[in-house]
Amino acid sequence: MILIDGSQGEGGGQILRSSLGLSMVTGRSFRIEKIRAGRAKPGLMRQHLTAVQAAAQICGADVEGDAIGSQSLTFVPSKVKAGEYRFSIGTAGSTTLVLQTILPALLRADGPTHVTLEGGTHNPFAPPFPFLQQAFAPLLAKMGAKLTLELDRPGFYPAGGGRFTALVQPCDVLTPISLIERGAVMHRCCTAIVANLPGEIAKREVCEVGRLLGWTGDELRIRDLKDCGPGNIVVLEVASEHVTEVFVGFGEKGVLAEQVASGAAEDVRDYLTADVPVGRHLADQLLIPLALAGAGEFLTLAPTAHTTTNADIVSRFLDVRIVIEQREGTRYHVCVRS
Amino acid sequence: MSKRTVVIGLLGPVLDNGRGPQRWERWRPTISLCQHEDLLVHRLELLYEPKFTTLAKLIEEDVRGCSPETTVRPHSIAWSDAWDFQAVYGALHDFARTYPFDTENEDYLVHITTGTHVAQICLFLLTESHYFPAKLLQTSPPGKRPDDPGQYAIIDLDLSRYDRLASRFAQEARESTSFLKSGIETRNKRFNALIDHIEKVAINSRSPILLMGPTGAGKSQLAKRIYELKKARRQLAGSFVEINCATLRGDAAMSALFGHVKGAFTGALKDRPGLLRAADGGLLLLDEIGELGLDEQAMLLRAMEEKRFLPVGSDHEAKSDFQLIAGTNRNLAARVAEGRFREDLLARVNLWTFVLPALRQRPEDLEPNIQYELDRFAQATGMRVTFNREARERYVCFSVSPEAKWNGNFRDLNASITRMATLSAGGRIDVGIVEAEISVLQRLWQTPDDHGDDEALLRQCLDERTTATIDPFDRVQLAYVIRTCLESRSLSDAGRQLFAISRLQKSIANDADRLRKYLARFGLRYPLALP
Repeated sequence: MILIDGSQGEGGGQILRSSLGLSMVTGRSFRIEKIRAGRAKPGLMRQHLTAVQAAAQICGADVEGDAIGSQSLTFVPSKVKAGEYRFSIGTAGSTTLVLQTILPALLRADGPTHVTLEGGTHNPFAPPFPFLQQAFAPLLAKMGAKLTLELDRPGFYPAGGGRFTALVQPCDVLTPISLIERGAVMHRCCTAIVANLPGEIAKREVCEVGRLLGWTGDELRIRDLKDCGPGNIVVLEVASEHVTEVFVGFGEKGVLAEQVASGAAEDVRDYLTADVPVGRHLADQLLIPLALAGAGEFLTLAPTAHTTTNADIVSRFLDVRIVIEQREGTRYHVCVRS
Repeated sequence: MSKRTVVIGLLGPVLDNGRGPQRWERWRPTISLCQHEDLLVHRLELLYEPKFTTLAKLIEEDVRGCSPETTVRPHSIAWSDAWDFQAVYGALHDFARTYPFDTENEDYLVHITTGTHVAQICLFLLTESHYFPAKLLQTSPPGKRPDDPGQYAIIDLDLSRYDRLASRFAQEARESTSFLKSGIETRNKRFNALIDHIEKVAINSRSPILLMGPTGAGKSQLAKRIYELKKARRQLAGSFVEINCATLRGDAAMSALFGHVKGAFTGALKDRPGLLRAADGGLLLLDEIGELGLDEQAMLLRAMEEKRFLPVGSDHEAKSDFQLIAGTNRNLAARVAEGRFREDLLARVNLWTFVLPALRQRPEDLEPNIQYELDRFAQATGMRVTFNREARERYVCFSVSPEAKWNGNFRDLNASITRMATLSAGGRIDVGIVEAEISVLQRLWQTPDDHGDDEALLRQCLDERTTATIDPFDRVQLAYVIRTCLESRSLSDAGRQLFAISRLQKSIANDADRLRKYLARFGLRYPLALP
């Protein structure tokens, strides 16, 4: 039984989700204590509970402490069952975080799995759907696993109501990858989405992106959705020779459209200036797949608390070493070795 | 698996209202309660009036979107006027009675933020009376961010679950029991437990109370205290009416209790309301209820059950709603067996029966009660009297000894303290006064008619063979004579007492001679020699 201190590092839900994912894939039981200990509302919240229950369902786990507000949880996994699943999650939690939790196990399952996820798909504080689809899934494909994502309709905070499906084709052995060079930028694209909100907002957002980054014409797109929302998101995609990165800005009540756009544009500028292939959020997502592959490396920006905490949890479950070293300027080298 | 959470709430036609995407910028209570990260609502029972069906559908859809874990079950519930208390209460009462509550597997929360104030009051009342086996759920809007779900509070109406409230109630109960004990710090465990029990019943019940116990054990005093306690808690508005049923005999009894109208009988010169009507809204103490006549018992029973009765000579029923405390020192069940007390009346007053112990069964409480009697004397006369140390020790020592029978209980104690206090010089009771008082009490508690004592006395004065030859008829007389002789200064003195009547008709008093001859018949001689 692996004992995890839920208050270490970033101290939030990420420790729990990573532990669940790694426990399912390794078959090793764990007990986590002091879950979200320092938070205003400590313990498991609804979104964490959904992740626990989804994980338990997929690997037939015995669980103790799976209640709202519970600050400790024991998880004893059994065999991962591929197949058809459906999970729903309330507005403040994101469906993409549930997928993130169960994905490692599904990559190693004994057959393909089809998951339907209902709830928020474009939420702040969670990887938004376009990021998973355009940045993360292609890298998994490079490693030999196929993750096909399809969005039925987006779900924005607070109305929710989104849905997407994920088809996971497992592979016996994941191939290690090395992402040291970004390569030349092949394609750039800014999409401002407004759902059930005035189209004017999207126009102002692409204008601002164009002004700040010098993108023009076809690179600036607007999508106006009617039967969902309300919600607004601006998605900036940078496709380079070896990797595609995605950056987003979320529209918010009381925040100017220009501010939403400029925040995301600055993230793009930082990324391009640093000349690294992997952005902060992608770095976070790559750790577990690389660890499962047993090796791999990439260059990225200064790691977040999420990334370092994740690295620590990974090494508790898997026999790998993750070394994070600062290179010149804002570039960091992350290396996974057995 | 922990229990599922079910919210029962009314659709708020105003607060939950909103159309278009802007509705998500408003705080809508029913939506908000499904948006909290730390509150998972598995099912929402949404009650709505038929005219708000469109809004109910929209809310159902929005809940499904923002909280897919929640199942919404809409219930159309109709009342003509949402501000009509009876209509709203009736409809919600029907809903609660037919709802299949499964408290083993589900926790219920009644959401009281939406709906008219009348509806909120009804929901509260139905929850408080357990028709909804639920806690209350109160939601409130966010401060700054309009799309934030705001706050919620769960209120458990079982107040014993709140530590600070529980200690507050405990303090109040302590004050009440202390009040019932007239502030006397009694130490007898059984008595204290009894008063704790009486306090609970007195505060929580309006049913009749039967106080049993020997005369002077404090039944009447306790009844008065119960009345004052209830009055202080605003549970009673009327008066305290007290009557000893032993004083109600014959025709006057009916009239005294139930009143009469002018001309009902000779001497009924004007209307008399009677004691029951005087006790309307208050408390009626019927002491010695066992002494009440059978006719009065029947009438009393009806007055208790129906809160109405017929005054003597009246065609119109009178009404009175009173709480009854009955006192008795008799075994009422035995009276029922003798046909002298109605069984149904006993059943009615027998719900809460408390037996007050005799004073001699509470030796620990004598000392605090002695002090209490001294205080009462000081209050009544304005004269503060104290024992000197030696005197107090002697008196307390005697009072708790088996010798002190306290047959009249507090009446005896009160009289005893009053005597000593009155005789005390300069407000100080000394050993002399105590010794004299002890003699008074001993004489008071002598039991000349006690059969067992007679036998013992005869055995002391006569040998067994002689005793065996004496008829029971003569034994009682002989024992009385012996006792008088023992208490008298001389043979003549004893003779004077024993022949007090017949000697008046005689020219020459020969009492001593008559007594000597009587004693001689049993082989006895004055002065009697006790071993």
